[in-house]
Amino acid sequence: MYPVCVRYLGREDAKDVLQDGFLTVFDKIGTYKGEGSFEGWMRKIFVNACLMRIRKGDVLRYSEDISESPELGGTMDYGVMEQIGTKEILDLVAQLPPGLRSAFNLFVLDGYSHAEVGELLGITEQSSRSQVSRARSLLQEKIKKLYNGTK
Amino acid sequence: MERNDFDKMLRDRLERVTEPAPDVWEGIDRELTRRHRRILFRRFSIGAVAAAASLAVALLVYRDLRPERHVEAPVTTVAEVQQESSSEPAAVEIAPIAEQISRLGEDRLVAQAKTAHAAMADQSGTPISAEPVQPSEEPVKEPAAEPAEETVVSVEPANPVENEDGKLSMEDLPEDFWREDVPDTKAHTSTISILSNLTTVASDGDLIYRASPMHSSSQSGSRQATSLVEPVSGTPKFFSPFSLGLQIEFPLAGSVYASTGLTYSYLVSQYDMLVDKQLFEGSYNQLHYLGVPLSLSWHFVESPSFALYASAGGAVEKCIYQRYVFGSNTLHEKVGGLQWSARIGLGAEYWMAPRLGLYFDPSLVYFFDNGQPLSIRTQQPLQARFEIGLRFKL
Repeated sequence: MYPVCVRYLGREDAKDVLQDGFLTVFDKIGTYKGEGSFEGWMRKIFVNACLMRIRKGDVLRYSEDISESPELGGTMDYGVMEQIGTKEILDLVAQLPPGLRSAFNLFVLDGYSHAEVGELLGITEQSSRSQVSRARSLLQEKIKKLYNGTK
Repeated sequence: MERNDFDKMLRDRLERVTEPAPDVWEGIDRELTRRHRRILFRRFSIGAVAAAASLAVALLVYRDLRPERHVEAPVTTVAEVQQESSSEPAAVEIAPIAEQISRLGEDRLVAQAKTAHAAMADQSGTPISAEPVQPSEEPVKEPAAEPAEETVVSVEPANPVENEDGKLSMEDLPEDFWREDVPDTKAHTSTISILSNLTTVASDGDLIYRASPMHSSSQSGSRQATSLVEPVSGTPKFFSPFSLGLQIEFPLAGSVYASTGLTYSYLVSQYDMLVDKQLFEGSYNQLHYLGVPLSLSWHFVESPSFALYASAGGAVEKCIYQRYVFGSNTLHEKVGGLQWSARIGLGAEYWMAPRLGLYFDPSLVYFFDNGQPLSIRTQQPLQARFEIGLRFKL
């Protein structure tokens, strides 16, 4: 669960939330009904804990994140992704602006729908689409830069 | 690479990543230890209250089974009155008793002894002189021109049960003779108390997210219709409530007392909250209550300096001020309705001085659901409360 927390929060905050998340798991273990995988159930708890931490610290920066995110486009080769290490990718995701990062993590990596992302983040579905798209472009750009830097 | 392909590849790569989390288990272990101690304290509190209740019941049973004692006499007893029939005035020796009483430092007793003695003399038809009240080596006698029989009151550590016919024992004294000489520190007087109490916090709660405002209205209370603040799922933390108050207690009948007064309570909670649709984690809610308690107590063990009592009653409280603190912001909201509660408890009071006493009053309190804001009272309606205070006799 640590990598899950890292891609939402970065490494420093991830440690605190990881601890809180495990305590919540211990507290609520009795509520797990066996529906779905245990890992999935745990992941929801950690994601929820991460979202609360992000919103607490960055709620006032949401709009800045969105407005300052440039529209990026282009495509990426498979080879580029293969050349980048997993931990580097994890750190690049964690370096996304908080608002974009949350939507991107929820939609792309944790499988929530845009409607669910909108509900969780308190934004519209359209805004979720927009943020995910911008986050994806930004991440691709970062990966390319990293790839070009390591070449 | 298409957008979906990029997402899938990213997902696959990050799904497989594993990384050890540094120092997390130590923190978890510390937190679990802290929670374990809290649970132990809660159990100890409940056990203490149960033990106190058991002790009180045992004392009650013992009190009922114990044979009644006719007179609780002090050490000094009046043993016998030697009386010989005579028509002449008799001289009475009350010096020894006066001396002994004086040694006790109770001047009032001297006067009482004289009064009692006069009463005895009236009963026997024998005039008595009770002049000598000062300690003296020699018994003081009435001057008698003719030989006269004397009625002598002497003091000796005799057993009053071994009376013989014609001899007056302490049981012949007026009923209230000895009772009045006991310093009266409590008997049926009103008291005023300054109190404070702490309540055990046994619940960190497992707050379940509710889409609607948590504080729904109820029949006996109504909260504000709309609130900008909603508690959300998480692990709320409740700090021990603290109360201060002033109470007056007055006797009703026998050993039954009634008390009422004014109390102030301060409750602090910390939980994640949505403020105008934005989430703030670990924010604070502060509640200030003013309340009027009313309770009856029965003193089942009562001595001049110590008493044990059982009490039951209730209180009604009004939240006079509520404040949320989230981030660097604060928000005030009015709270409607009243908080009703009921309590039972056992208490002990000790009178350190004639008019100053200390009391300890552990009790169980139940807070009814009156639609009040989230606090330890809504999460844990049944609480153990430990009240301590000073009592002043009016």
